[in-house]
Amino acid sequence: MEWLFRSNFDPLTNAALWSIAAVLLTTIVLFAYTVGLRIATNSAIRNRQRFLSVWRDIFAGALLGNGIPDEQPLPPIRRGDWIELLEEWNRVRSVVDGRAVDNLIRLAKRTGIPPIAEKLFESRRVRARILAVQTIGHLRLSEFWEELRALVDHDNTAISITAAAALVDIDPGAGVNIVVPKINSRRDWPRNRVSVILQHADSACISEPLYRAIRTEESSGQTYLLQFARLMESEILDALVDELIRGSPDPRVVTASLKLVSGFKGVPRIAALTQHDEWYVRMQAAKVLGRVGQQEHLSLLESLLDDPQWWVRYRAGQAISSLPFLGPNQLRAIRDRQTDPYAIDILQQCFAEVGLA
Amino acid sequence: MSLRDFVLGGQWVFLTYFVGINLGYLMQNIIAAYGIRKYLQTSEQYEAENVFSALDIPISLVVPAYNESSSIITSVKAMLQLEYPQFELIVVNDGSSDDTLQKLIDEFGMQEFPEAYRARVESKPVKSIYRSTRISNLRVVDKVNGGSKADASNAGINVCRYPLVCVVDADSVLQPDSLRRVVRPFLEDPTTVAVGGTVRIANGCTVRQGFLEKVGLPTNFLALVQVVEYLRAFLFGRMGWSPINGLLIISGAFGLFHKETLVEAGGYNPKAVGEDMELVLRLHRLMKEKRKPYRITFVPDPVCWTDAPENYRDLKGQRVRWQNGLGQAFALNRSLLTNPRGGTVTWVAIPFYVVFELLGPIIEVAGYAFILLCGVMGWLSWPEAGIFLGLAIGLGVLLSTSAIMLEELSFHMYPKFSQLALLYLIAIVENFGFRQLTAIWRFQGLVRWLRGREHKWQTITRSTSLADEAD
Repeated sequence: MEWLFRSNFDPLTNAALWSIAAVLLTTIVLFAYTVGLRIATNSAIRNRQRFLSVWRDIFAGALLGNGIPDEQPLPPIRRGDWIELLEEWNRVRSVVDGRAVDNLIRLAKRTGIPPIAEKLFESRRVRARILAVQTIGHLRLSEFWEELRALVDHDNTAISITAAAALVDIDPGAGVNIVVPKINSRRDWPRNRVSVILQHADSACISEPLYRAIRTEESSGQTYLLQFARLMESEILDALVDELIRGSPDPRVVTASLKLVSGFKGVPRIAALTQHDEWYVRMQAAKVLGRVGQQEHLSLLESLLDDPQWWVRYRAGQAISSLPFLGPNQLRAIRDRQTDPYAIDILQQCFAEVGLA
Repeated sequence: MSLRDFVLGGQWVFLTYFVGINLGYLMQNIIAAYGIRKYLQTSEQYEAENVFSALDIPISLVVPAYNESSSIITSVKAMLQLEYPQFELIVVNDGSSDDTLQKLIDEFGMQEFPEAYRARVESKPVKSIYRSTRISNLRVVDKVNGGSKADASNAGINVCRYPLVCVVDADSVLQPDSLRRVVRPFLEDPTTVAVGGTVRIANGCTVRQGFLEKVGLPTNFLALVQVVEYLRAFLFGRMGWSPINGLLIISGAFGLFHKETLVEAGGYNPKAVGEDMELVLRLHRLMKEKRKPYRITFVPDPVCWTDAPENYRDLKGQRVRWQNGLGQAFALNRSLLTNPRGGTVTWVAIPFYVVFELLGPIIEVAGYAFILLCGVMGWLSWPEAGIFLGLAIGLGVLLSTSAIMLEELSFHMYPKFSQLALLYLIAIVENFGFRQLTAIWRFQGLVRWLRGREHKWQTITRSTSLADEAD
């Protein structure tokens, strides 16, 4: 190895030698870090299993009857276990309702969860903050109302939507009045999550702010908000849908409204939409006619069977096969009188789907 | 040119290549570590609040199958149990010469159905479409053999009904929550057109009823080396490109695509050897040409487990095919290479791939030959050569160590200390022989591409774990 320590290597080789030393050192550091990480992870997993094995039973007890009696001692909670406790408590809290909620909140107060949530609320770590906001909402701590209201506008999607959920948890009526006008501008909020939040308030609370928001938005906002319109009271929804189908110049708004048609109101207008320039409007109109169409709409549906768009043909075929006044023989007769190969193909498929060979 | 000039010139070429490739990998490592950290943080946030607990984009799962009689039933049963609210499963029987189709018909009560087939992307003719009488979201497309997975995938895409299409190998083992994880980029960013997931090696794992029951390491040396290779390739190879929207490959074993964009691009190219890479390059090209904002993303979660070749013949075939496919994919999308608006793809990712991945084998093989020649001719200074060899091996080990650390930091799928030790051992051993061998195979692949050989379905000998499962 003497050659390795000689000093007359050229600069390049010397640089390579130093690089080897650096690479070796970095490799050893990464190796040690990985092993340390493995030890820490294994230890954390063991602690979590131990902690949860005790607390899952306590939470289960809190869900039954009057919950955990005040005189029943609770196991001590170590400093490192608080996050686990809050996560588990929130997990259980989010799937229960009724009396069990009161029991869980009482148990949380006994264990000292509220001050911990308050402390975490100030944390700079996003995950801790989300956990705190969620806990505050689940505990219905109304003293945080203004802070939560401000957090709804937070840049971070998870923080803002958690704050929105917390507001609705604390006061559904006032909460939806704050949350609904924000929905259109917060397209980063996952839609199903928004639906779940709104469902926590009853439809009487949602209808008015949602109706107002849809009426005042531009077309793209209307289309977006109409996705949540099913949560409204049915009379208000029907009136809104009828109004938009008649009055909106935007085919996307019309399509979104057609998806919400539930009754027979405005059928002539819907039938006229089967001739619309946009294929997706024709498709949706055909679909609606399959539910609410009358004998006089059959020819309109038949005319869509050779539409250039496959989806229009398919929905028209499905609509015809689902019309309640048509029996198997009449359906076969409709198929037999078609001359267009596309129309025949699509009817064959749609009839086969309903078991009509 | 004198002999001295030749030797000196050669030295500088190899040195420049060596420095360039390692700097490139180092950068990828840094970007990947940052990307994984950010991904895990947001995952934690979303999981903490169940932001994406309820998903609303239905997925069509397309499973091309050619002579998969031994495993198709188990695979389909497992895929039908995936945790996802709404998906359909479309198995495409690509004119199998065995009883793949009959097995599906018998097991799931498939009945021929007069579905109005729309040929939106090119594929060989469809003979029949079957629907299950028992499972509403299962259909089987029986088609004329097209000779490639791409052709079969296209037939599947033509019958898809949902906005996202996931093409999966019939012999892949999926994580039960794979769809939930891989769909996340589509929910976070509506401009996403394709997402790739991490593929891991299934050899050595315990698979039951088509699901991974226990993660283990293979006993076969070649499969073991590929475990480390896949860690490098996915955890920093792909993850390093994804945050800068420079991802060029989504593994054919598991990829999720926006259907309309996929159709607009023309689906898979049945003539492409590496149809997966060719498609991703074409998507980049299409979106750049149309000047549409888009994202092609990678999720580091292990979502799919696949069988790795365990013998030299299969491994060689795979590597030759990959290299051949790489060359062909670049040739087919050459306009992307010079697109002035190509951004990161044209100006960073493609040059790196062309120099270090496509042409790399030429430099590497030439380098070995050069060292050999200099040694034989007595032109080699052994101490200096030893130092540079040590540095090359050291960097190789460092890159593998870094990948193992990223794995530990993120998913720690190999929980035993003995597994960790074995991975480190392989990270060292693979530098002696295996790397040189793969360089030679890749060189052969390059030659094959230049000679323009065609590609057909490739079958590999199954590892013990999956073969047992299949039986």
